[in-house]
Order: sequence, then structure tokens, then C-alpha cells
Amino acid sequence: MTRWRWLAAAAVVALVLVLALGFRRDPRDVRSGTVGRPAPAFELARLDGGGTLAFRDLAGQAVVVNFFASWCRPCKEEHPVLLRAWERYRTSGVVIVGILYQDDEAAGLDFMRRLGGTWPTVRDEGGRTALAYGVFGIPETFFIGTDGIIAGRHVGPLDDAVLTAAIEAIRPKAPR
Amino acid sequence: MSRLAIGAALAVLALALAFAARPAPETAAGRVDRVSSELRCPVCQGLSVRDSPSETARDMRDLVALRVTEGKSDDAIRDEFRAAYGDWVVLRPPLLSPAGLVWLAPLLLVAGGAFLALRLARATAPPPPGPPNAAALAALRERVARDEEADA
Repeated sequence: MTRWRWLAAAAVVALVLVLALGFRRDPRDVRSGTVGRPAPAFELARLDGGGTLAFRDLAGQAVVVNFFASWCRPCKEEHPVLLRAWERYRTSGVVIVGILYQDDEAAGLDFMRRLGGTWPTVRDEGGRTALAYGVFGIPETFFIGTDGIIAGRHVGPLDDAVLTAAIEAIRPKAPR
Repeated sequence: MSRLAIGAALAVLALALAFAARPAPETAAGRVDRVSSELRCPVCQGLSVRDSPSETARDMRDLVALRVTEGKSDDAIRDEFRAAYGDWVVLRPPLLSPAGLVWLAPLLLVAGGAFLALRLARATAPPPPGPPNAAALAALRERVARDEEADA
């Protein structure tokens, strides 16, 4: 009978472990297969009509890829956060790329003109780039290190603390 | 001769039936439908990409259709989505993955239950009769002797 007690105890411990691991996970942290992997390359048309922007053109810089749309209210809410980060980091090897998702070009351009922001914005026709990145819902932001690897992602509107911490983790460090 | 003719006619009929009932080759649209039905819509609650009316699901269906026309295999198409969304995106997760536990768990539960039931049945079954001990044997002999005396 002692063996049975040990077996029951092991089953209870296993159950507690599974529950503990399950409860430790942030329920808002939806799954994505792309974190820790090379960022999918893209070449997309710029909203301002100035040709295309290719991911390879950004080599050597830390890249913040922000999927947004003009109809998305949380995108509007997080926009001032992106503006502040852009002003602070644009000269430190960090570039923000806004990717307009499931929206039309004119509306996206109007959104940027009204709210400001001079970072490059492009249009994801057909959502191919969003699908390659594993986007669930916008706003969604990916943080790509200078090595081209996706270091992290944030689902939902950004705040200053989250964006600053993520950029500090990927931005090129000045040589001492 | 007539038996041979009947046998041949039956064989021809069987062949014709088998030919008529053979599975039709899958069309490209059918393949898009099937692969889409195996992918989970990321912005829905428990809907496949085929069944969801959302714009994201439509984009995914379009991408599946494009890959089908490019001649990509089903596995290659599924792998492309798995690379972006993880195993979560396939409605039938591969066996050898953490999500594959959904396949193994019922088997493990049934096996565990059967093992427990077997153990319990063995524990509660009456012990098998062993060889009679000396006292029982003596009592039996005495009883047989009594019966024989009574019969005599």
C-alpha cells in the first residue's frame, strides 16, 4: 500500500506543477512562433508614395515594427508613446517602422498626418507580412535586435515603460 | 460455358463499380478548403480559417490558395503558419509536440484506469483455495468413513 501512497503523492505533485506552470503564464501573452527567430524579411510600399522600404535596408539598426490601422482605437492611444520614443531614440541606431494593416492607404496616411510621426510607414497589402510575423491583433509590436532576431513582442497598446525597456534591450550599445 | 460468361460478367460489373466509386482527384479549391479547415483562425474563438468570416482568416485563405497554386505541399503550407504562430495554429497538433499531449492524455488516462481497475479486482478477489491442511484432511477422512459406515 505504501507504493500506492507514493504514486498518489507523485500524481498530486505533477498536478500542482502543471497548474503552477499554467498560472505563471501571462494569459495576455498569446503564442507566437517568431520570437527568438530571424525577423521575416519584407519589402513594402511606403504610405507617402516614396517607393518601397525593404527590411534589408535597416540592417545594423534595432527595429521596432509596429502593426497599426487608422480604425484601431488602441493604436491612436499608443501613438504618443511611439512619438516620444522616436524623438528619444531616432539618433541612437533605432528605427520604428509602422506597418499599416487591414486598412486603406489614404486612411493610414491621414492618420499619420493628423497624429504626427516621421518614422517610415508602409502598407501590408494582403496581410502577408503580418501573417509571416504571426500577428494576432493590432496594435502589435515586434522588437528586432541589430542581429535581425526578434527579441520580443508586445500585443496591445504600448506604454512608455514597456517601450523604453524593450528598446533599451535591443538598441546598439555605444562602444566604450 | 454459361457459368464462365456469368463469372466474366460479374467480374466486369465489379470492376465497373470499383472504377465508378474511386475517389475523385482533389481540386485546387478542395485542397485550399481542406488545408484551411485544419488551421485555427488567430482572431476567433475556436473557428477554423475556412469557417471564419474575419479579414485575418480571409488573408490566411488567400495565402493558402497562393501556396497551393505555387505547388507547395500540405506540410509545407502548415509549416509556414506554424513558424509564425506556433503549433497552436494547427487544429490537429502534431503528436511530438507539447500540444500533442491532447492526443496522448486520453490514452494515458485509459491505460492508467485499466491498470487501477485490474489492481483493485485482484485485491478484492477471494484467495484461491490452497491444498487442504492436515486438520481439514483428517476431518474429511472422518466424514468419508462415517458416510461409508452409514451406507454399510
